[in-house]
Amino acid sequence: MATHSNSTQTGTATVGRDWLSVALVLGGVLLLYYVVPMLSLFLSAPSGDIVARMTDPTVVDSAITSLLSASISTVLATLFGLPLAYWLARTDGLVTKVVLAIAVLPLVLPPVVSGIVLLTVFGPGSALGAAAVAAGFPLTRSLAGVVLAQTFVASPFVVVTAKAAFESVDRTLEHASRSLGKSRVTTARRVTLPLAGPGVLAGVTLAFARAMGEFGATMMMAYYPRTMPVQIWVAFIELGLDNAYPVAILLVVIAAVALLVLHTVASNPWA
Amino acid sequence: MTLELSRLHTSYGQFECGPIDLKVDEEVLAVLGPSGSGKTTLLSLIAGIAEPDSGSILLDGRELVGRPLEDRHVGMVFQEGALFPHMTARENIEYAAATGEHVADLTSALELEGVLHRKPASLSGGERQRVALARTLATDPDALLLDEPLSSLDAPIRKRLRDELYSLFESLDIPILYVTHDQRTATALGDRMAIVRDGTVEQVGSPSAVLTRPTSRFVARFTGNENLFEGTVTGRTDDGVTVRFGDVQFRTAVPEANTFAVSDVETSAVPEAHTSVTVCIHPSQVEVRPPTAADGDRTGNTVTGRVARWLNEGSGYRVEIDVDEGLTFTANVRPPTFERLGIDVGSELQVLIPPASIHLIPDRTGR
Repeated sequence: MATHSNSTQTGTATVGRDWLSVALVLGGVLLLYYVVPMLSLFLSAPSGDIVARMTDPTVVDSAITSLLSASISTVLATLFGLPLAYWLARTDGLVTKVVLAIAVLPLVLPPVVSGIVLLTVFGPGSALGAAAVAAGFPLTRSLAGVVLAQTFVASPFVVVTAKAAFESVDRTLEHASRSLGKSRVTTARRVTLPLAGPGVLAGVTLAFARAMGEFGATMMMAYYPRTMPVQIWVAFIELGLDNAYPVAILLVVIAAVALLVLHTVASNPWA
Repeated sequence: MTLELSRLHTSYGQFECGPIDLKVDEEVLAVLGPSGSGKTTLLSLIAGIAEPDSGSILLDGRELVGRPLEDRHVGMVFQEGALFPHMTARENIEYAAATGEHVADLTSALELEGVLHRKPASLSGGERQRVALARTLATDPDALLLDEPLSSLDAPIRKRLRDELYSLFESLDIPILYVTHDQRTATALGDRMAIVRDGTVEQVGSPSAVLTRPTSRFVARFTGNENLFEGTVTGRTDDGVTVRFGDVQFRTAVPEANTFAVSDVETSAVPEAHTSVTVCIHPSQVEVRPPTAADGDRTGNTVTGRVARWLNEGSGYRVEIDVDEGLTFTANVRPPTFERLGIDVGSELQVLIPPASIHLIPDRTGR
């Protein structure tokens, strides 16, 4: 910035015309709206008290349930999502569009509705649900129920993000690899996947973050065992806001770590 | 090892390609054509990136149509190299190679030892293409396809790599298809040349035959042959015919035996009198002399004209000469001749065309 424009800004009343400043002021309001409640959360909870309550068995149990179920859900989402993402990235036409729309559906569906939808298939009243209960492996009110809910809601992040990552890999490179005598599988493993790696990792991270925070569908499918969001809800309803703080803080920390991963090893699709 | 394409045909959208018949022995076939003529499509069909609607591709008697890319043993060098960006040059080559020994041979042959540890992003365009070539050759392909590997390079590097390719191709005993839109590269590297237009092969022959004896106006124009005139055969002579175009009457002669052997027999046949033909004279075959030159050589066709325009094309001059009858001849003139004659716009020159340098295209193929 030259001194000339500086003097114009300070010397006259043209500051208001600097649209970048206006944008920052307007955006700043929103930014404060994000930051202030977050800081408020940390300030509201007396730190010594928080640490003590974080070791409470119900909190620890919910953390274990959440981490375990979100991990399983993420693995499932990746296992089934990556091939679908690859297929979507490498085909064209009406069928591809329809399949993509179906894959995105859970993203736009309200989570509670997702839960209801899942209950019609896996609920104790359904044929499949009843059979599973009879076999001693209930699909609701169990870790399996949590995983089913989380996978449904979180897996589209893997599909959509990984699809974009695969599409960014030049097809000529795949043709080159295959013309060197390498099979499709070898090509995908050694050329496409490494090149799409950061994008795929971003999708996996987003799916994990989404699974950790999943509440609506999980509530419907499995109130027990309690995940962290459900634990927050229960603590809030039964014991008041103060009691919801510890788990909420834990979840904020986990979200921050996910963001850190996105910005370092993965390619942040929104950066 | 022979690569044989027969009745090969494909189409997508509005574009029709084929039917193409081509036979490539252990030689370099330069495939030359304007952009969008189907050159790359042709390579894609052979490599297996695209499948033809019909026809067959035989490599060493083995049918390639229907086989996946990876089972064809056809090496392809892509336009920009298509190196794997996450691997070093060495890893790129080793990815393809069956044995390490082979890698060492190739890297020394292509002078790549110094750059093996580098990733493609930090390689120059020429180095990238050499790595791509080494990677493809590391698989010991049964045929080699190259898709304009030099087109993205600067002129000096392109020329150097072209020379290197020439010696490399000499050492390979497999069919090589080299696609380019650059006539110089095609004539320099090709044992034979195929001119492609709108998805079909227009003419195949030795570079000199295609250049001096095109079978159609398109091939003539595309290979830089600007002297095309509508004419009529007026009579026969001992070794050729007389042909009239504008107010000029020229004598032609059947080309010498060696040119005759490689050019298309059909077009070398002497045409009947009164038939319409396209008279075709390559600018490099047009000689210019001072207007007062004594005509010692009675066999040549001479006509006098004035220079309308000239262009310095680097290695020579392109001179357009208006002859009295309203015809314009284009001549490639070597710099020493250009300077000796003091050529400029308006100067008078005698144009001399040897009878054997006049090529006649029968009008039924005239497009």
